[in-house]
Amino acid sequence: MKLPIADSAQVRAYTRHLFRLHRRPLTRIAALHTLAAIAGLAGPWLLGRLVDAVADGTTTGYVDTLIAVGAAAVLAQTVLIRFAQRSSMVFGEMVFAQLREEFIETVTSLPLSTVERAGTGDLVSRTTNDINRLQHAVRFGVPRVIVAVVTITLTVIATLIMSPLVAIAMFVGVPTMVAVVRWYLKRATPAYQRESAAYAALNGTITESVEGARTVDALRLGKRRMGRVNTDLSEAFVAEKATLRLRTILFPAVDLAFVLAPVAVLVWGGYLASNDYVTLGTVTTIVLYTYQVTGPVWELIFWVDEIQVAATSLARIVGVQLVETDRVERPAQPADEDIAARGLRYAYREGHDVLHSIDLDLAAGERLAVVGPSGAGKSTLGRMLAGIHPPTGGSVTVGGVPLVDLPLDELRGHVALVTQEHHVFVGTLADNLRLADEGADDAELLRALDAVDARGWVDALPDGLSTEVGSGGAPLTPAQAQQIALARLVLLDPHTLVLDEATSLLDPRAARHLERSLNGVLEGRTVVAIAHRLHTAHDADRVAVVDGGRISEIGPHDELVAAGGDYAALWHSWQHEQA
Amino acid sequence: MRNLPLDDPGNPPLSGPVRYLWWLTLRQWGILGVAVLLGIVLFACQAALPLLTGHAIDSGLAHGFGADLWRSAALLGFLGLVSAAAGAVGHRYDVANWLRASFTSSQLVGRTVSRSGHAITAELPTGEVVSAVANDALRVGELFAVLARFVGSIVAYGIAAVLMLRISVPLGLVVILGLPAVAVSLAALIRPLQRRQVAQRDASGRLTTLGSDTVSGLRILRGIGGEGVFNARYREQSQRVRERGVDVAGTQSWLDALQVLLPGAFVVVLVWLGAHMAIDGTITAGQLVTTYGYAAFLGWPVQNATMMVQAATRAHVGAGKVINVLRVVPSSGATPGKAPMPAAGAPLVDTTSGVHVDAGRLVALVSADPDESARIATRLGRFDDEAEASTPVTLGGTPLADLDKTALRERVVVAEATPHLFSGTLAAELDVHGPQDEERLLRAIALADAHDVVDSTPGGLAGELPEKGRSLSGGQRQRVALARALLLDPEILVLVEPTSAVDAHTEARIAARLVDARGGRTTLVVTASPLVLDHVDEVQFVQDGVLVASGTHATLLESAEPWAPAYHRVVGRRLDDSTPADGVTIITDAVDGRALDAAGTDDDPIADEAFDELLATFDDDLDDHELDPTTPPRTGGRS
Repeated sequence: MKLPIADSAQVRAYTRHLFRLHRRPLTRIAALHTLAAIAGLAGPWLLGRLVDAVADGTTTGYVDTLIAVGAAAVLAQTVLIRFAQRSSMVFGEMVFAQLREEFIETVTSLPLSTVERAGTGDLVSRTTNDINRLQHAVRFGVPRVIVAVVTITLTVIATLIMSPLVAIAMFVGVPTMVAVVRWYLKRATPAYQRESAAYAALNGTITESVEGARTVDALRLGKRRMGRVNTDLSEAFVAEKATLRLRTILFPAVDLAFVLAPVAVLVWGGYLASNDYVTLGTVTTIVLYTYQVTGPVWELIFWVDEIQVAATSLARIVGVQLVETDRVERPAQPADEDIAARGLRYAYREGHDVLHSIDLDLAAGERLAVVGPSGAGKSTLGRMLAGIHPPTGGSVTVGGVPLVDLPLDELRGHVALVTQEHHVFVGTLADNLRLADEGADDAELLRALDAVDARGWVDALPDGLSTEVGSGGAPLTPAQAQQIALARLVLLDPHTLVLDEATSLLDPRAARHLERSLNGVLEGRTVVAIAHRLHTAHDADRVAVVDGGRISEIGPHDELVAAGGDYAALWHSWQHEQA
Repeated sequence: MRNLPLDDPGNPPLSGPVRYLWWLTLRQWGILGVAVLLGIVLFACQAALPLLTGHAIDSGLAHGFGADLWRSAALLGFLGLVSAAAGAVGHRYDVANWLRASFTSSQLVGRTVSRSGHAITAELPTGEVVSAVANDALRVGELFAVLARFVGSIVAYGIAAVLMLRISVPLGLVVILGLPAVAVSLAALIRPLQRRQVAQRDASGRLTTLGSDTVSGLRILRGIGGEGVFNARYREQSQRVRERGVDVAGTQSWLDALQVLLPGAFVVVLVWLGAHMAIDGTITAGQLVTTYGYAAFLGWPVQNATMMVQAATRAHVGAGKVINVLRVVPSSGATPGKAPMPAAGAPLVDTTSGVHVDAGRLVALVSADPDESARIATRLGRFDDEAEASTPVTLGGTPLADLDKTALRERVVVAEATPHLFSGTLAAELDVHGPQDEERLLRAIALADAHDVVDSTPGGLAGELPEKGRSLSGGQRQRVALARALLLDPEILVLVEPTSAVDAHTEARIAARLVDARGGRTTLVVTASPLVLDHVDEVQFVQDGVLVASGTHATLLESAEPWAPAYHRVVGRRLDDSTPADGVTIITDAVDGRALDAAGTDDDPIADEAFDELLATFDDDLDDHELDPTTPPRTGGRS
């Protein structure tokens, strides 16, 4: 299952919403930049006046006055730029902080079923790559675009005020430029995305080669890995050539506009000046404006391009908000702690049921083992029983109330899913445990660690509970990480646990230690254990054999063995092997 | 543009970054020369524009609208067009230079990584190696991209200097010396800015880590709660990043302001000087415009020079990091083989432990300590010549380190316990050296019982597997790796714990098929699973690093030798991840008094209460089958 991506209308709506939300600071920033840009127009204007003054003969007093005005303009621009830049950057930081905090909040409240099925890869890349790319655009791009737009607009207005007649000549190259820039911008985003995808693939290839260096060596995959590097580089080359082609057309087209503009202004202005429509000083000013506006135009093109790319990141960030909730809370109190499934069906894709009408009653405190071949639907059943996915048909209830009707906080107090996946969060060990119970004091945390047999190594850590763990902190073995996960369960204290191969990925030694930790957690709870190993089944009060999305056999171990069905056959072969 | 990547990236000198950069320069001097030439043309044209503009204005003033103005304008237009063309073509050459240098560096890193074996991870963190391609190679390329503009800028500066000095020596000197002074004073201001930017980047990096950490553990977070805590933590760090950003904004805005003030003041002084000279008639009005034009224009070459300095610094650092990777020496096979390959059927012997794999047999290696058997298997694979020098393994009597590595790898393959799956199509990742035809693939998939992988991969055999086989469960990954190893079909295959994450039904099926799959070729399986042990020709049992017994599983089980309790404990453990292991120990305790000692020295004895409880659970069943006579051995034991 893929997470949604917002379409362009949704991205536009979101951007408009942001603009509306921050209309006041944006107006202030634009005003400051406008004033700064006006001050920036003084130089060429003064020079034009000087040219006229020199041509007409003038006094040093007049020249000094003009220069003093110029100096004042520079000072004014300096001060205005200082405040304009500061407030636009501070504003950018504020908006962006808000945006990323909102995003994380959305992510951490994604529906359980989405989180389980979408995997975390896509979300991680949205949280890191997309946020960073957007940050670049918001932090640097938006202020630059504002400055560029304001400067270009004011320069055009200034020339029109000074002499609309001469100003016309300035635009001689503009139609081609606009046409080419539009052509370019339409193609730039996908082309640059292809480029960065190619480099990402190359980085991925190198990462894989390094991480799998032993396997590369053992299976003599070196040539293949090198071939992959070359393939990635070829793709990067093709992508680079494509963007280069775009620029090969863009650059001269824009340059041409800026070559033609001063030439046209000089010739047309010279003609007008010789007929006394304008002074040569005015022509000078406008020629200098055409040179001066080159920088902002390039900057605008560059940033529009970047912002287009950032918009695709924004689409992925806004997209997460589009995930629909998978459950509606309803007020109802479970009558007891018995979990029951009735006519339970589930389909990941419509019409392809993975579970076919399952009925199951769990008595409080019983241990049910679920066995069966891979792909039979064991894990899906487990997730249904833990209230992760709302069923496609039928229901799973606790004390008569459907699990998916319960508020999440309450659901967690009833039933928890334990998988082979574990994750140690960046933070102290205590932080890691308190996830399950924010109010727990240190004594309670230690009791929980005791219960899972982890007290020994925790006490041996340099700072005990306050030791920093997770990425960059004290390294923990997979078994220790799993024990932390189990200690969290003790703190969470649900009456029912669904174990999905909780220890199957660990090596046999670690698994042995963990089994004991696990016993500390299972004590006094209803347990559904999805198992590979038959001993778990033998140990349980009842065994359910799941095959093809149905419970084909269910009952106590001895009864099933006596019944002589699939389970019995399996058991006998195992028993036989054991001897 | 020549197609990249090149077939052969070459062999660079690794003595230092400068040597490396020079080596790259020599390899692409042709396109670099063209780029520099175009850079000079571009900047020379640009340097003439202020002069021509001033001249045109003077023409207009002196002669009004006429031939002189037309000539100036035409020349201005012509030079503009030439510079636009040189700019566009030059950019193509700049990019070509960039790509050539950075792709060559990436290729070299890629080649080192694909040959190094585990030496690469032993010597460098993964992040640093990836960064050599993701950042450093690009930084190296950047130097070659900005070089042309730098040279062009120097030429332009020279042209402008000459032209300005011809207009007026004092004005010329102010322009030529003043601008670099402005640039240097601006550069001095960059330091404090960079410090604050670093502080913000650090805070921002921590924020990214926090974000990806939260998301990576999202399933757990959603499963047990704690979102509130995490949101608060993220918000706190996010606000810290914002505060650092505000610090940066403070410095940055001053720098931006000074970037207006300093050049602005410079222009004001220059224009004041020029205007007075113009009133005196020392210079013309047009030359005043030219002076103003150069004051603005020369900012560009100065900026390019600053960029060049930065690019050169980064390229130097980048080249150093690339070389660091290139210096990694492969962990095995760094020197060519000096002994001839032994004939087919030669036995593989670990001289340290005495474990030996004879031709044509399916042997299981069991060790009291699973780490020990893993170590032996690793030695058999010749992964590290230096580390294994004191514990040699021989093939037909020749130490592995003396053989040609490629030839050895074709004959002996060790598939380790945690094999890495690579991204790619399922077919290509399964049959890594074979023709990938469907029949062959399906046979191997059937052997490894991996049908479900084909079914669950969208597109089946042609479907894409993500990196590390992330879309698969642990058991599925293991079975894919097994199928991959079997498809290599080497003369001698060593499989380490090939079925540890696979369920009992499947493990039994795979074990039964393994015999046929290897069809009389030599195989060693490191395992403790009785489901597998029951199918092998011979079990070799290692205790304290030394081979203590060999024979069929059944023979070893029945033995009353001193090592027997340890054997029971190891193979018993696998029947049931923990409990029967100790159960079996207790039962054998009745047979052999030593077992109790063995249980007592277990580094992590089971807690007493739990122990009693487990005993109670298993008592009945153990009575039933523990003394049950085993299946007759299929092949005779050796011992």
